[in-house]
Amino acid sequence: MNFPRATVTEIHDKLEGTPLGSLFDLFSDFSIHYVWEKRWFFIALAVGAAMVLGPLPEGLTEEGMIVLAMSVMATIMFITAPIPLPGVALLIVLGQIFLLGIDSSTVAKTLWNDSVLFILGSLMLAVAVVKQKLDRRIAWLIVRITGTKTTRVCFGISAVSGLLASFIGEHTVAAMMLPVGITLVTLTSDDPRKVRSLAAVLLFSIAYGASVAGIGTPSGGARNAIMIGYWREFFYDPSNPETFKYIIDYVRWMTFAYPMFLIQLPFVTLILFFTFKPEYRDLSRAVVKLRHQVESEGAMNRADWVSVFLFFLVLLGWIFVSDDVGMGTIAVLGATAFLVAGLVKWEDINSGVNWGVVLLYGAAISLGIEMKDTGAAKWVAESFLSMLAPLGADEGFGLWAAVSVLTTAVTNTMSNGAAVAVLGPVVLNMADVAGESPVIIGFITAVSSAFAYLTVVGTPACTIVYASGYLKTTDFLAVGWKMALTSTVIMLLSAWLYWPLLGV
Amino acid sequence: MADAVTDPTEIAEIRKSRFRILVCVDGSEESYRGLRYAARLGAGEDADIILLYVRPTDQGLRTGGLQVRVARENMLNWGLELPGITYLKKGRDMLIETEEQAALWDQQSAHTDVDGDPLGDNKIEYRNESGKSIVLKLKTASSVAGGILDQYDLGPYNLIILGSTEGQGSFVKSFWDPAVAEKVAVHAPCSVCISRDLETGHGKLLCTDGSERALDMVAKASDLAKRDGSKVSVMSVAIDDESQSDAQSSVDQATALLQSRGIIPSDAFIKTGNPVEEIIKAGADYSFIVLGDTGKTGLKRFFMGSVAFKVMEYARNSVMVIR
Repeated sequence: MNFPRATVTEIHDKLEGTPLGSLFDLFSDFSIHYVWEKRWFFIALAVGAAMVLGPLPEGLTEEGMIVLAMSVMATIMFITAPIPLPGVALLIVLGQIFLLGIDSSTVAKTLWNDSVLFILGSLMLAVAVVKQKLDRRIAWLIVRITGTKTTRVCFGISAVSGLLASFIGEHTVAAMMLPVGITLVTLTSDDPRKVRSLAAVLLFSIAYGASVAGIGTPSGGARNAIMIGYWREFFYDPSNPETFKYIIDYVRWMTFAYPMFLIQLPFVTLILFFTFKPEYRDLSRAVVKLRHQVESEGAMNRADWVSVFLFFLVLLGWIFVSDDVGMGTIAVLGATAFLVAGLVKWEDINSGVNWGVVLLYGAAISLGIEMKDTGAAKWVAESFLSMLAPLGADEGFGLWAAVSVLTTAVTNTMSNGAAVAVLGPVVLNMADVAGESPVIIGFITAVSSAFAYLTVVGTPACTIVYASGYLKTTDFLAVGWKMALTSTVIMLLSAWLYWPLLGV
Repeated sequence: MADAVTDPTEIAEIRKSRFRILVCVDGSEESYRGLRYAARLGAGEDADIILLYVRPTDQGLRTGGLQVRVARENMLNWGLELPGITYLKKGRDMLIETEEQAALWDQQSAHTDVDGDPLGDNKIEYRNESGKSIVLKLKTASSVAGGILDQYDLGPYNLIILGSTEGQGSFVKSFWDPAVAEKVAVHAPCSVCISRDLETGHGKLLCTDGSERALDMVAKASDLAKRDGSKVSVMSVAIDDESQSDAQSSVDQATALLQSRGIIPSDAFIKTGNPVEEIIKAGADYSFIVLGDTGKTGLKRFFMGSVAFKVMEYARNSVMVIR
């Protein structure tokens, strides 16, 4: 905070004692903290104004420039969050109406589509599933299969977290399994210092198990739904049968991405044990106590069975009918079913879902579509490609790696859904311009957005396990880069060797 | 408690007469070192110690739209403790162990709901017969620094002690995310002590520039020295050789003031050079560097033009800014 000090205090000293001086003091005392707190908001506005008022680059329309400026401003605000993020969403809506002169009903229509409905429905479903308290039984099931050795328990936890998360989303699983991890830790030892590494291994098994699985199916995360929405929006043309391959259905997504998750799973446990070396090799003490806790709950009652039944019904719905009625519809249907069956209270759903996020994704997707319609996305894509060309990364494997690195960088600074919403239009246009398959590039973006292992805020699962208070931010750095490296290598290998076999 | 005073103005009146220390605990070793010092400083019957843990409120976007409270409620269902509670309890055990047997303390708890958090604000107050109290406070706020400053508004404090956050100092970092300690030190209306590798027993170094405020600081610091019984040294920095006599007279003035208050400084010296560098260099041998706030308000304080804040930012050991 060095730069303006001299000049500002100089002005202050010159005006000292005059009425203007006291006005200046009043103004500065009142507003400087506000301006400082919101500095990124004003920086974003200044950047946006400079872009719009500056000379128009070749190949970009005026509308395109406005949309591009809005995207840049929104990205700055997504990362730095100077105002509440749903506020950014509202600004995007207002910007489209006032700056681009689009009719407000038209803007409102672009805010809702199946992807947004899916985000809404799956969040409600997530709360409903967590509230069923099936976690103890799942935990017991895991240790019954794996035995009591720490390595095996951890692998079991990541495998089960992963399998569940691949269908119902990583945040659900992290919230559900977090107490399981902590209970195993606290039952092993009361002194947190004695079980620091054990806590890290168990909690990261949940978080990373769920994170690597989020890519597995379209319902694994908002980013997948957003990417599917973009493909349909950008490339699908009902009158042209050639473009039907851009409709990626549930099963097709799984054939692309599920094997990657299964390959990554053993690496999670390996990397964690390699990094943290837990204090206890055997958890039998904790497991025995856990059994007592589960037995005290008694057998599964009718409500438990109904919730398991509904859960599987939703899974089957996604796999078999979501292509006809939409993934969002199934998610909303599932949430409604839990409400109708009386298994979850609306109050719980209402307080457990951050509704602003739904609005935020809606606005981000709406802006993304505007990016494409005004040609701004294409212009950015071309500029990027000409920048990458000297590095030999404007096509093929080089481009894939560049897209992956770009996405990983962006996703570590903001939520991964927002990263895909912002980057999607640009990278899909890059694929188009470079003559690459938009499907492969799209998959690389959606999958790489899950590689935010480095920071606490990167993936929902990481944020939730961090909220337990058992992990340090440095733990994420220590293990995260190994995870990111492994995942990137596995993904690039599948893009190179496996995906072409699927005919894209 | 039957004889609890409930009238807010009366409470404020009572609090004014007491020496109140707010210790911010975050579970780190450093914050407990600060607490140990607070225990020593607040050993007298007229001192209260308030332990504070601030938990940032949940941010739904980070978790993909699912509120962290869903996970936290699930943890509570399992009978697990949320973070913060353990830290505060550890702090309490340290305090009560070093003073008296726990049986002598009367316990009372209070709770305030906070929107969007399953636990809200919680407070446990321990009070002994002579009216001395220890308070454990678990607070929820949108940011840690904001929470600490809000807590100040709830009851005036004489001193805020907090552990320094790692890796501060660089401009980019502080522009991006001003460290909590720095933010609190800038905004807090009372004295702030930032503990950094705190090792008590090496005494305090009071830095004076001869101004009225500096003398005020010396007076207050002498009160603190009486409480914790530590040694006190005085220094002043002359910018060049010519002003050495001014610096010497500042030191003499401060020494005289200390002596009049019954404290014999163990050392008094002057240095020549850049004040910030010299203070940091000389201060390294002491437990604390004690500085007066330059009294700049608003804008000036905001841009942190003063020596005090620069020392606070770059010193390697603990710094106390007296207000």
